Amino acid sequence: MMTYIVFILSVIFVVSFVGFSSKPSPIYGGLVLIVSGGVGCGIIMNFGGSFLGLMVFLIYLGGMLVVFGYTTAMATEQYPEVWVSNTTVMGVFLLGLLMEVMLVLYVLKGEEVGVVFKFSGVGDWAIYDTGDSGVFSEEIMGVAALYSYGAWVVIVTGWSLLVGVLVILEVTRGD
Amino acid sequence: MNPLIFTTILMTVLLGTMIVMMSSHWLMIWIGFEMNLLAIIPILMKKYNPRTMEASTKYFLTQATASMLLMMAIIINLMHSGQWTITKVFNPTASIIMTSALAMKLGLTPFHFWVPEVTQGISLTSGLILLTWQKLAPMSILYQISPSINLNILLTMAVLSILVGGWGGLNQTQLRKIMAYSSIAHMGWMTAVLAYNPTLTMLNMLIYIMMTLTMFMLFIHSSSTTTLSLSHTWNKTPLTTTLILITLLSMGGLPPLSGFMPKWMIIQELTKNNSIILPTLMAIMALLNLYFYMRLTYSTSLTMFPSTNNMKMKWQFETKRITFLPPLIVMSSLLLPLTPMLSILD
Repeated sequence: MMTYIVFILSVIFVVSFVGFSSKPSPIYGGLVLIVSGGVGCGIIMNFGGSFLGLMVFLIYLGGMLVVFGYTTAMATEQYPEVWVSNTTVMGVFLLGLLMEVMLVLYVLKGEEVGVVFKFSGVGDWAIYDTGDSGVFSEEIMGVAALYSYGAWVVIVTGWSLLVGVLVILEVTRGD
Repeated sequence: MNPLIFTTILMTVLLGTMIVMMSSHWLMIWIGFEMNLLAIIPILMKKYNPRTMEASTKYFLTQATASMLLMMAIIINLMHSGQWTITKVFNPTASIIMTSALAMKLGLTPFHFWVPEVTQGISLTSGLILLTWQKLAPMSILYQISPSINLNILLTMAVLSILVGGWGGLNQTQLRKIMAYSSIAHMGWMTAVLAYNPTLTMLNMLIYIMMTLTMFMLFIHSSSTTTLSLSHTWNKTPLTTTLILITLLSMGGLPPLSGFMPKWMIIQELTKNNSIILPTLMAIMALLNLYFYMRLTYSTSLTMFPSTNNMKMKWQFETKRITFLPPLIVMSSLLLPLTPMLSILD
């Protein structure tokens, strides 16, 4: 099972995405977002990116999602929608689940799945440890390069965040 | 809106388009598109009523979907070519998805449904920015990937856009919807020649922006958003009626005016490439556009439109100062004799 851990994690990832895409109330959406964030972190860590996985947990789940949870809790309604309360929501969730199950069965049969890229069976998802330089971790070097070679990206992203705050304040201010 | 915040947000719209036009990394282009979209939402919502909010929401949803499709095309391109630089997109799947995404951003058929509704729901100045500045960024990306675009899809979208832009505008009396359908048709003309000679796309974009700028400024000057209100300009500023006549006929592509130049060049370029039926169809369908421009000029400058007596006087608000209106009018009507200068573009 450990060889195919990335495949299993990716299935749980897609299922939780279906869970919040079927639009229950935001509180329940936040719940599956936690699950999908954790599982996504697991996928990244299996590819060797331990720093980025930790970032997902700390910043995304521990910072942004906490703030989201608090604001949603302030703005929630008396009877929030669950997946089983509304026929539409349950129908969409089951449809997404069905499509994922069909895809998984197709993949598990071991044949080639060629949708956009060729992908032959579950073996493609297993991680082989090759190309490791062994001295330094590549993805931490990537993050460090963001602040040296990629300074323009930092400036643009920082400006976008500032303008994002201004835009949100303008839009919700009203008259 | 606080003037400082408004200036910052407007500068971010400009910065977003500049980043799109000047980046060589696909991710930066996507970031530029998102920055542009984020910053133009409060500009569309300047007047705070439910119609502008609905229009900005529609704009946000369609453009966000287009950005997602663009990101998917970028990632498929990355997977098949292994690099992030802007070149022509070698993989056909990525190319088709990217063309569809950029067509959604521009408002080409079959993704044109948001253009009239969004343009109608916002103020005239916001509509001006929407229909002119927002077309620059997607068109520059189309220009850069033009060698690899699937010709069938591009020409189908172009011809259908000219058709929809012509027929859709026929039943309209609201000026903003007329300008929206005119924008759809002009985008169709621009993308038709993209695969053959992209320089003419840029020429058409330039002249289209000048003419649309002129039209919107004339509408802002007479504070009119419907045909009925426009038909009362003879009472307020009689000179504006003549200027509206000239600019509208230029937009329709009539010969001695500068709107004829891009259409002429495009038809010539298409026939040089041995396609005869296509430019004939396009030229015939441009007549539909000309019809509703003519109807506007008929009610505005050529006749005194019937209305009740107490509506004939237009209330004189303070005169708006419109920057650059005289040079714009001159440029959008008298540029045709400068056509031989296009040889410098080679």
